[in-house]
Amino acid sequence: MIDPPRVELWAILPVLILFGGAVIALVGSAFARRADQAPFVFLTLAALAAAAASALWLWNREPTTALEGMVSVDRLAVVATLTLCGVGAFGAYLGYHYFERDELRRNEFYALLLFALGGMALLVAAADLIVVFLAIEVLSLSLYVLTALTFRRGPTEASLKYFLLGAFASAFLLYGVAISYGAVATTSIQGLARGLAGTTGDQSLAIAGALLIVVGLGFKVSLVPFHMWAPDVYQGAPSPVTAFMSAATKVAVFVALIRVLHVAFVGLQWDLGPAIAALSAASMVVGSVLAIAQTDVKRLLAYSSVAQAGYILSAFVAPDRDGIAAALFYVVSYAAAVIGAFGVVMLVSGGVREQTGFERFRGLGRRRPGLSALLTIFLLSLAGIPPTAGFVAKVFVLGAATRAGYWPLVLIGALAGVVGAFYYLRIVALMAMREPEGDDVADPSPLPRLVLAVPAAAVVVLGIVPGVIVPVLREAGVLTW
Amino acid sequence: MDAPWLTLVIVSPLAGLPVLLLWRSISDEAARWVGLAAALAAFAVSIGMLANFQTGEAGFQLVSKHPWVESVGLTWFLGVDGFSVWLVMVTTFMFPIAIAASWKVDHQVRRYMAMALFLETVILGAFLSLDLLLFFLFFEALLFPMYYIIGVWGSKRRIYAATKFLLYTMFGSAFLLVGILWLYIESGNQLGKATFDLTVLEQVRLSTEAGRWLFLAFFVGFAVKVPVWPLHTWLPDAHTEAPTKGSVVLAAILLKTGPYGMLRFNLDLFPEASRYFADAIMVLAVVGIIYGAIVAMMQRDIKRLIAYSSVSHMGLIVLGIFAFSAESMDGAVLQMVNHGLSTGMLFLVFGMLYERTHTREISDLGGIVHITPWLAGAYVVAMFSSIGLPGLNNFVGEFLVLLGTFSVDRVLASIAILGVILSAIYMLWSYQRTFQGPAKERWGTLRDLSWREGAIVAPIVVAMLWIGLQPGPMLERLRPTSELVSERIRTVQVGEAVEPLARTSGAGEEGP
Amino acid sequence: MIDLIGLAIAIPLVAAGVNMLVGARLGRYAGWLATGAMAASFAIALGALLDLLSLPAGDRTQVVTVAEWIRAGAATVTLDLRVDPLSITMAMVVTGVGSLIHLYAIGYMEHDPRPGRFFGYMNLFCAFMLALVLANDFVLLYLGWEGVGLCSYLLIGFWSDRPEAASAAKKAFITTRVGDVMLLLGLFAIWTHFGSFDFDTVLGADGSLPEIATGTATAISLLMLGGAVGKSAQLPLHVWLPDAMAGPTPVSALIHAATMVTAGVYLVVRTHVLFEISEIALTVVAVIGLAGALYAGFASLGQYDMKRALAYSTMSQLGFMFLAAGLGFSAVAISLLVAHAFYKALLFLTSGNVMHGLHDEIDVRRLGGLVRDMPWTAALFAVGALALSGLPPFSGYFTKDAILELASHDGEVWAYVLGSLGALVSAWYIARLFFTAFIGDRRYEGRAHEASTLMRAPLVVLAIGALFAGMWLALTPDGRLATFLEPVVGTVAEGHAGPSAQVLVAISVVLTLLGIAIAWRLYRPAAAERWISFPEREPGLAGALGHAFYIDDLYAWIVGTVGLRGAAALEGFDRIVVDGAVNGVGRLAVRLSGLAPIWQSGKVRRYALSFLAGGVALLVFAVVRV
Repeated sequence: MIDPPRVELWAILPVLILFGGAVIALVGSAFARRADQAPFVFLTLAALAAAAASALWLWNREPTTALEGMVSVDRLAVVATLTLCGVGAFGAYLGYHYFERDELRRNEFYALLLFALGGMALLVAAADLIVVFLAIEVLSLSLYVLTALTFRRGPTEASLKYFLLGAFASAFLLYGVAISYGAVATTSIQGLARGLAGTTGDQSLAIAGALLIVVGLGFKVSLVPFHMWAPDVYQGAPSPVTAFMSAATKVAVFVALIRVLHVAFVGLQWDLGPAIAALSAASMVVGSVLAIAQTDVKRLLAYSSVAQAGYILSAFVAPDRDGIAAALFYVVSYAAAVIGAFGVVMLVSGGVREQTGFERFRGLGRRRPGLSALLTIFLLSLAGIPPTAGFVAKVFVLGAATRAGYWPLVLIGALAGVVGAFYYLRIVALMAMREPEGDDVADPSPLPRLVLAVPAAAVVVLGIVPGVIVPVLREAGVLTW
Repeated sequence: MDAPWLTLVIVSPLAGLPVLLLWRSISDEAARWVGLAAALAAFAVSIGMLANFQTGEAGFQLVSKHPWVESVGLTWFLGVDGFSVWLVMVTTFMFPIAIAASWKVDHQVRRYMAMALFLETVILGAFLSLDLLLFFLFFEALLFPMYYIIGVWGSKRRIYAATKFLLYTMFGSAFLLVGILWLYIESGNQLGKATFDLTVLEQVRLSTEAGRWLFLAFFVGFAVKVPVWPLHTWLPDAHTEAPTKGSVVLAAILLKTGPYGMLRFNLDLFPEASRYFADAIMVLAVVGIIYGAIVAMMQRDIKRLIAYSSVSHMGLIVLGIFAFSAESMDGAVLQMVNHGLSTGMLFLVFGMLYERTHTREISDLGGIVHITPWLAGAYVVAMFSSIGLPGLNNFVGEFLVLLGTFSVDRVLASIAILGVILSAIYMLWSYQRTFQGPAKERWGTLRDLSWREGAIVAPIVVAMLWIGLQPGPMLERLRPTSELVSERIRTVQVGEAVEPLARTSGAGEEGP
Repeated sequence: MIDLIGLAIAIPLVAAGVNMLVGARLGRYAGWLATGAMAASFAIALGALLDLLSLPAGDRTQVVTVAEWIRAGAATVTLDLRVDPLSITMAMVVTGVGSLIHLYAIGYMEHDPRPGRFFGYMNLFCAFMLALVLANDFVLLYLGWEGVGLCSYLLIGFWSDRPEAASAAKKAFITTRVGDVMLLLGLFAIWTHFGSFDFDTVLGADGSLPEIATGTATAISLLMLGGAVGKSAQLPLHVWLPDAMAGPTPVSALIHAATMVTAGVYLVVRTHVLFEISEIALTVVAVIGLAGALYAGFASLGQYDMKRALAYSTMSQLGFMFLAAGLGFSAVAISLLVAHAFYKALLFLTSGNVMHGLHDEIDVRRLGGLVRDMPWTAALFAVGALALSGLPPFSGYFTKDAILELASHDGEVWAYVLGSLGALVSAWYIARLFFTAFIGDRRYEGRAHEASTLMRAPLVVLAIGALFAGMWLALTPDGRLATFLEPVVGTVAEGHAGPSAQVLVAISVVLTLLGIAIAWRLYRPAAAERWISFPEREPGLAGALGHAFYIDDLYAWIVGTVGLRGAAALEGFDRIVVDGAVNGVGRLAVRLSGLAPIWQSGKVRRYALSFLAGGVALLVFAVVRV
């Protein structure tokens, strides 16, 4: 006789909460399309708070898997979920402010945001490649729509590109899953790990599968050469969406990559290492170099996010908990910096018909010392200049790569950092060292600045006392079951 | 008195920051005073540090060591020895002067002062850190404030100059970072626990091969800062475009982080490689001395000229370091201080002139010696100090460096000494064209030094005479350290394994 | 008093400080302050001298510990002072002649707007000069050595609004610096060999010779000779001295005649031990000296500017001193140095009177007949000229001709013959100056006014010295000064070669008179037009003499043309190649980055294509690496 599958819903409580919130928001927006969006914000924040709380509640659980090994309950998932909730909160607020400013009512925004976050929360907990694929699809579809949310021409085009290439990427991902199944006859991450640990001899099939999965996920985090959508989409999407997308997606997908590379295919680490290193180096170099010529801040940040992805990936050549901790630290500090940066861009860009060319930022330091100071901090962190989190993060990931013996990769990273410093500080120079011109349309309202001061503070604190989260991240880095 | 002196020294400039950052409506005048007060406070604290410095002690003193980020082995590990003590003093000494000298800065004074104080803190940190990562953190952190000061308050091509400065020096430290990480991992492999602690890393045994590569990585990082020929071309631009204070700090202090790094890290960690590369580096240094002097001769812009003279002088310092004789090392360290005073003062005094004439072109100036005799006099003092006139500070350093080098390598010393002639040529020639000759009527109304300016210059002159005539107090504090290091280096044979350095660290508070 | 010798340096130093800082307020008292300081310093030196004389000749070398200066590694440098016959003699000259010149300068500079600075520099100079001669340590000597160079620079360029003054100052400093560098290298060599800078250690206390190989000794000696040659304006580093006359005349008298330029002689005499160990070095000294004496003597004949003529004369006289030192007659060299200090100072100051009286007119072609307007000055100049020319019983005879006599006795025929020629020329050029400037009919407008009493008084003292110092110093069986100096510089070995003393005296007198006669023949009032128009008639010869055989012009070409071109080329290299490379890298990066749009065109298919390519590449990698 067949005993019914055990359904441990508590294991995916955060995901459920997020989806629940999403559904409510969806229904609400369906009936109150043009209503005031304040309630929706509060709903969203509440859902996020609840999800975070439930995630915290999972912290002290014994690491295990639930739902027939579909999702894993461990601290990695918890940390990732918490980060995602944080990012989500800022995304929600930014969106609120963005639409409020132009009296646009896009209340489905919150629903989509929550759906995306739900998908991400699922992704970071996924213990089976099928779930990975599922989660990816959920978050992607939400992001596609979010990108087009203002129904303007630019966003719509961006959304379409994103969608088409996204589909392409999903194909790779799925194919990769299939091949790995062909290799080890399981899609469970632990199963793969066990299976590969046992076998010896020809593993090229598994390697191919792993690489195809890397391609699929690499697309989401815009690794070279799968990055080309990023500039167009980042630029086209509404700034709050870009902010949310660039931060949250990287958190979720890189955590998934940790599971894939450090657990599922850990047996192949020495085979995959060079490929990872190559991708990482390519992303750091190409992203940095291409960013130089940009004259639009959003586009520039898009290319920079390509380079940043490369840095994060460089930690993956070191398959140990320090490497994981380094990657996590980088992801967290990157998320804080990038959401803040796009937030400021949104405030400066002046309304929904976003103007984010360099001329907008010229002399901002004179007109808006507050805004330019915030952006300067975020850019310094992205450039990895102390005393900001970015510096510590770079040292961590490059240190991990060094430990793995990939010091050429480290050198490339360090030198790419020089290029990075050039284009990030170019914006600083633009704001601080040039006279303003044209009229000032930057957003005057003080509250957003206050809100953005939070990630700024986080960036600085993490830069000076990284110790406050490093132990937690190392805890999260323990993947044992 | 027992106190965490070094930590105090480092944080004391920050005392001014909260006021400057939070009190947005502070008046410019008040902001200036806050900046000056904080810098003076730092000077006072550093005096306390000096008072507690044990003369005759070779190792690190006033050590303060607290874990910072335990998981990665980053520690707040500070210590001072003969190499760093006077660099700290010259830093805290020059900063109030530099701030007072930039009283005329009239826009964004609040930020200017904040940046200045932040800069002082990180520079002091770089001189006092004994933890490589901590050092690197400070070493990198000083880039941005300098970049900002040059870029915001500089002159016409300021952004180009600032960017060039930043990128060039970051390029250097890229290699430094790789080297540090490599060493860090290696220490983990050998000692079980990876660490950035200098005194522990000294114990790491490196293969000859590895040692040499690491040496190069570190050397490139520092060589750009020095700058060692041919990595020098960022310096003239940075010096020229920077505001007076920027030039003063850059010349007087910031450049010293380069040779200091070589002295502190290259020689300590890679003695074999140091010996292996010494000859090549000495040649580079000598080339820099002559090359810098000759190129300085042809400059049309006074600040560029002084900048190239720095290239020449810094070459002498590097020469002294890599000659490895106790005399030359004493001389090199002393010369770091001296060059700070003399070149700093040249920039100061010329800055005062620039405030009056608003031109840096030699050809625009001329014949002002009788219009502003005191200003000219101050310039002459700085000039002859820089030329190396006995009785003034630079002579002692140059003399010791060349003496020590001569006892090691006569040929190089004899070539390097030509710099003494060349420096006289470019300095006196430029002085003649800027100050002497028939007075141009357009300068007929220049004011002479004000009391404020006189008060700014006077302490430097006193210091110059003091070092020039009684360098004893300085030398006796740095001598033990340089003897220890030069002894150790000299015992090393190229191609042989090296015994780890036995340090006698002075008393200091140990953290939990 | 010996222990107080430090004060002899300190007092002028303090006075200098006061004058330089608040001299502007002191006004005309600045001069008196400076002169007083020098007088005090002279008194101390005199006291020290008397104390020294009261001691037995054996222990007349006293070292006064002052302080340690530098201690680094194995190197130690002290500020100790050394009082011995040689140093005290030099100190007497510096303070004595110095005081007189200061006194004179009060009158000479009374119309200058900045007496404070002037006298400040003058005192500073004397302080450094005393440090130079009293040093007991080569590095302290070097301090004085450079210090006097500095003051020379400041004083030559005192009227630096005059371009020629500024250039002359710069030229003087840089040219001597070339020598100084050699001296410095000599010091390094000394240290590497002896491990000390202390005179006693290096030169050997109480007669014991230092342990040193001939080769090393030669190297060290020649290097130090390089320094001496620079300071004392000997060939080939002499070019700065004539230009230095652009400074105020008291400066020319004090620095460029009486004291600083003799430092080279002092150095050679002080270190004669090393020179004697290495025969070569000694010979080189003699040769350079003799060559310089002749060269400068003839060059002086070509000058129309009185001060330039006197400058070459100084160089020539210094040449004789070097010759003496080079032949091993250190004592005689020093006595010539002392005598020369008197009469050359006198000559300069009298020509100073002329400038003062004729608003800076100094070209003999526009002088003449001054004796009527300024009889005192004329008389005093005549005295100086007689002393220099070497007619017995005046100073020059007992000193300059003594050298030739000794040379002959030692059988150094070449030195004797050429030296005598030099002596003849000396008489010739100095007589030339007197005839052209002071007698005959006036070639200047207006009336020259005689110098004030204040300016005449010191000249009279100098004149007395000029006339009799030589005699007084020499008159005792083997020379008063020589005996006094003997403990330091050793005895002058009297040879017996060549003709007897009486014959030599006769010859020298004849030669001197001959020189004067030639001068009279050429420059007597009647012949005025002829010598003034001489350049037109003999441009070649006149040019050669006037330009001192074009050596200076050769240097000017090398430095000014070759040197500058080279430097300019290097500067271009730095800008275009070195910095160009740096900026090139930057441009390259931007260029590369600019290529992005070619592929990043916004066309989805291209994106998909590169996507696919990437994926395939990875798969290929997977397959290949198996």
